[in-house]
Amino acid sequence: MPEPRLISSYLTVLAAQLPASIVEELADGLAETHRSYLRQGMAPDLAARSAVAEFGEPELIVAGFARVNPARRAARRLLGIGPAVGACWIAALVTSRAWGVPLPGCMLAVLALAAVIALLATSALGTRYRLAARTGAAGFLGVIALDASLIAGVAFAGVPLTWVVAMAMAASAARICYAVRALRPALAG
Amino acid sequence: MRAEELKGHLDAMLLASLEGGPQHGYAVIEALRQSTGGRLDLPTGTIYPALRRLEQAGLITGSWSVVGGRRRREYRLTPAGDRALSGRRADWLDFSAMVTAALEGGPCPNPA
Repeated sequence: MPEPRLISSYLTVLAAQLPASIVEELADGLAETHRSYLRQGMAPDLAARSAVAEFGEPELIVAGFARVNPARRAARRLLGIGPAVGACWIAALVTSRAWGVPLPGCMLAVLALAAVIALLATSALGTRYRLAARTGAAGFLGVIALDASLIAGVAFAGVPLTWVVAMAMAASAARICYAVRALRPALAG
Repeated sequence: MRAEELKGHLDAMLLASLEGGPQHGYAVIEALRQSTGGRLDLPTGTIYPALRRLEQAGLITGSWSVVGGRRRREYRLTPAGDRALSGRRADWLDFSAMVTAALEGGPCPNPA
């Protein structure tokens, strides 16, 4: 039996804002709801209207999924741990007297950090699923690049490996692992 | 019963609906309707994000199968979900006994 047009339109609205796997699950639930109304003896069009009404406003469903978006949650966590990792690096650079970065390099690093924070904040506060996933993915890539640059920079600059430097490198390595894990679901969104 | 009244209890109700075995989203909703005597007034579509939230929390796990040519996601309780359900059920029984005693003026039974 072909899918009623009302149900197709409803799913099209959801598909514009949600990942395909979520829409597939919703489509199955909506088809089951429709079938249950048909079994009660309703005409197909009325059954479709009843099923769509029972499912609720698409905006309500999209907002519900936006709240459980894994990219949004990961972005919040990365923003939360950011100051602690930053403090580790400040302590490492101060105790090692490793301030020899030229001004353009410093400015580039600050701009890159600001861009990553902006991307993560957009994802963390996002109420649109796809936007939150995409900005999150870009932010996670930024975090990976920043942390990898810090680790590589310290290693190549020959900064003595004190326990403070080691702690900062470990914090960045842990953050890279977390960002890599968060990247896959974000890219799927 | 409306969504705002269910706040804080929906998760436990969803876990309880999966206690009997794996269910897909629509079956979970039907089980909830039956167990609440049809008093649950919740847009069906809002159950799905709640199931995803429980999955992310590790309390349930989802897997795909194909039924009638359509992909279907089924959920089952994890051991952590089973423990969480037992805990929430015990908490609710204590809480409801306390409120009932306060509203009806009777003695509050000691928690188990």
